[in-house]
Amino acid sequence: MALDKQFIGREYGPYRYTLGEEKLREFTLAVGGAKPGAGTPGEPPAHVSPLLYDAQAAQAGPHGGLIAFPSFAVVFAIRPFSAAIADPALNINMQMLVHGEQDLEFLDVMRPGDVMTTTGRVADLYERARMGFVVVTSESRNQHGALVVKGTWSAIIRG
Amino acid sequence: MPRTYQPGDTFTHVRECDRYRPIYYAGASGDYNPIHIDPEAGTAAGLNGNILQGLCTLGWVVEAIAGFVEDPGRVRRVKARFSRPVRPEDTITFQGRVTSVQDGRLTAEVSATNQRGEDVLKGAVVEAFIG
Repeated sequence: MALDKQFIGREYGPYRYTLGEEKLREFTLAVGGAKPGAGTPGEPPAHVSPLLYDAQAAQAGPHGGLIAFPSFAVVFAIRPFSAAIADPALNINMQMLVHGEQDLEFLDVMRPGDVMTTTGRVADLYERARMGFVVVTSESRNQHGALVVKGTWSAIIRG
Repeated sequence: MPRTYQPGDTFTHVRECDRYRPIYYAGASGDYNPIHIDPEAGTAAGLNGNILQGLCTLGWVVEAIAGFVEDPGRVRRVKARFSRPVRPEDTITFQGRVTSVQDGRLTAEVSATNQRGEDVLKGAVVEAFIG
């Protein structure tokens, strides 16, 4: 396992992603424990906030409309991380890779129709206890240019 | 009257990883890594079966704090190390404890243990607006 520090700072993106209302609903209910079926994301379990799936209730709520489940961000903000670990230049053995650590900051809510642009960079590459560590940071901005999601993605390469 | 929060306040969230949850989460998130959806692939990778996507477990941490502050739109941060896999049929108990309340922002530590009392996350921290 040799990680070449010369690739620290390598950049990925920009990647564009438009948030779709049904996709947001699917994600919140899949995390939430619903049982999806053909044509439906499933019945919302009682613990899931209606602000995430019920357009009418959400309109009367604190955000004036549906919002995304916060960590829905992983669906698009993961892209620089996936690109980095698959980058032939970094030469990472994917079979030995596990997701070690995750940090996500949400600076604002996301809504259906928002267009997110994500960029990322290799923040660190190091070895410890005969394992490799890859750290990628990401920033996602909405269509108004506002920074909405910051991510730090860490992978461990075993052996 | 708005709810008030203080250091030391606690919250709990319990989730079961039903048999097909890794497949449902794969469909919604796009993470189709075979170790999550194919027990044979998981075993071949030395994991003794398929395991839930760590980011789904992280989503459950977000649910825990979102429920506590009564609005998912108030969640401002989630951070965790994935220390042990979550497997189908596991039940995970999330227990949060508020460590600080300052300038309308709440910080809490969250532990996540399976039905055998083993930690599946380490160092999990969440932050939310409460203003």
